[in-house]
Amino acid sequence: MTALTTTASRTRGGPRGLTWTLLRLHSAAVWFWALLVAVAAGSLLWAAVPGGDAAWAVYHSGPCANGVVDEGCNINAPAIELYGTAMYLGSAIINIAPLLVAVWAGAALIGRELENGTAKLAWTQSVTPARWLAAKLALPAGLLTAGALLLVQLHRIMWQAHDSRWKGAGVWQWHDSQILISNGPVAVAHVLLGLAVGVLIGLLTRRSLASMGYGFFTMGGLLYALELVRPHLWPAMTATKRAAEGQPPYIGMTVEEGGITPGGDRVPDLCLMSTDCMPGEDVVGYYRDYHPASHFWHLQLVETGIVLAVTAVLVVLSFRLLRRRTGGTS
Amino acid sequence: MTDTAIEAAALGKRFGWRQKGWALRDCTLRLPVGRVCAVVGPNGAGKSTLLAHAAGLLAPTEGGITVLGTTPSAARERMAYVAQDKPLYPQLTVAETLRMGAELNPRRWDAAVAERIVDEGGLDFGSKIRSLSGGQRTRVALALALGKRPELLLLDEPMADLDPLARHQLMGTLLADAAEHGTTVVMSSHVVAELEGSCDHLFLLGGGRVRLAGPLDALIAAHTLVTGPTGDLAPHIVVESRTTGRQITALIRPEGRIAPGWQTAEPTLEELVLAHLRAPGAPALTLTDEGDADNSQGGNGGNDDGETNGTRTRGASV
Repeated sequence: MTALTTTASRTRGGPRGLTWTLLRLHSAAVWFWALLVAVAAGSLLWAAVPGGDAAWAVYHSGPCANGVVDEGCNINAPAIELYGTAMYLGSAIINIAPLLVAVWAGAALIGRELENGTAKLAWTQSVTPARWLAAKLALPAGLLTAGALLLVQLHRIMWQAHDSRWKGAGVWQWHDSQILISNGPVAVAHVLLGLAVGVLIGLLTRRSLASMGYGFFTMGGLLYALELVRPHLWPAMTATKRAAEGQPPYIGMTVEEGGITPGGDRVPDLCLMSTDCMPGEDVVGYYRDYHPASHFWHLQLVETGIVLAVTAVLVVLSFRLLRRRTGGTS
Repeated sequence: MTDTAIEAAALGKRFGWRQKGWALRDCTLRLPVGRVCAVVGPNGAGKSTLLAHAAGLLAPTEGGITVLGTTPSAARERMAYVAQDKPLYPQLTVAETLRMGAELNPRRWDAAVAERIVDEGGLDFGSKIRSLSGGQRTRVALALALGKRPELLLLDEPMADLDPLARHQLMGTLLADAAEHGTTVVMSSHVVAELEGSCDHLFLLGGGRVRLAGPLDALIAAHTLVTGPTGDLAPHIVVESRTTGRQITALIRPEGRIAPGWQTAEPTLEELVLAHLRAPGAPALTLTDEGDADNSQGGNGGNDDGETNGTRTRGASV
């Protein structure tokens, strides 16, 4: 037993130094992320090919109660519900990942080390606190980006197969936030934001349990705030109709809607909230601001840019905080 | 190459923003290389704070500290530190913990030394750290520290969790290793007996300030234990005196000849330390090595409240 692995393993390949240490310390988290990615990837792939085919077949050919083939009358068929569940599971994992990452990074990656003093153990080896933090950011960021990119790719394949068949008839639309996020780089940016939020909170609280709570609510709040500003990240298009012609049609993501006065002012449309209403004499038309499907990439890229910028700021703050506390000159 | 292992200049650390939160204040001291130095003081004296500054884990609130002639951060690779609570990763095995030492200190790691220390404790390399007792964990932490082949070894309450036998054996290994490689060792403790016979330098801290600093033999030689009938001990500096009946027993720093009629004796380390702990108002004393060119530490930068007015610097040839 004394013939230790330290010397023997030197000759073997594999990760070294801090990378080896971090992978070994957080192997449970690495496996959990791999499992999460595998489950999401599996359900997305299944939904993209066999599940989607089966659901589509049932949707437009299944016999309905009256014996007539009628698209839509069997929307609750098991095959279609299973398809919906698989779709939902895949994008739900992509959407919940940033929250899980923030909680984990705050509690397990940083908070626990500062709480138990094991960070001091690392910093008094030949590793500066700054290098320690850099590795703790870079290694998870790499694994998270790889996993999230794979899932986004699979989600896009799944969504294209879905959209080409179901058009607007599916349960979800392209602009539903869960679908919108999962279909582009925003999903990756959110995961990285989760990492940066968790790390900064872990450094601030220096406690694992406190980091968990603060991480969850901070990241939840940030995701909610993004949800609120998302429609306003790109100039919307406007559809208007005169009062006599009724409401403009619903196209894509609705940003804002209401009535127009003779002076051209926009007023809230009471008739959108209740049927028991009389259009006021001062409402001469209706408007609706919306994002057509062609705005998808604009919305995606602007949000990705903002989220990555916030992430970068949080990372800089983390390094500053650590440096101030440890008095390190490096 | 510098001959100074640690040099603190008016080092101060305040935790939080409270005015009373000073863990260490106005700490000026110097430790030459190759010494085995005890940092002694009651709980809350600032021992751990001083060691953590030397290890580059804390930023000073005021003043500064240099280690091995450079900043603690730059000296990181050349020193080892074992914190008071012996932090180790509980999910690793003993072997993996030593592997980590090798991975994180690629230019210095000496696997044989680390393995020998673990072996001497009869530890299983395959057992998880979380299954070890406090004393076994201390052994692994020390193995990790010595495996780094440090020039400066900082140990915060290293022996607190060990049984007397293991303490004796591990201390022996530690000191033999230090002597062989010329390692400077700094260890803090509040158990004075644990240090007697193993240290040749002393820093006594109290209330976040330096009370005594210098080579152990010089510090002891600078003090005398006197016993005699009640009377005036001027001009000597009285550290502490106790009266029993008409007898007075006092620890003094002689200034000139001691009048006949007093019985004198050399104090032990324990008597020296306890007398200073019982008398917080006694003036501080900093001694430097005889023949040591660096005699400049009398300059007490922040002499703000008069408590250090009695600080004097003298050669050890008293």
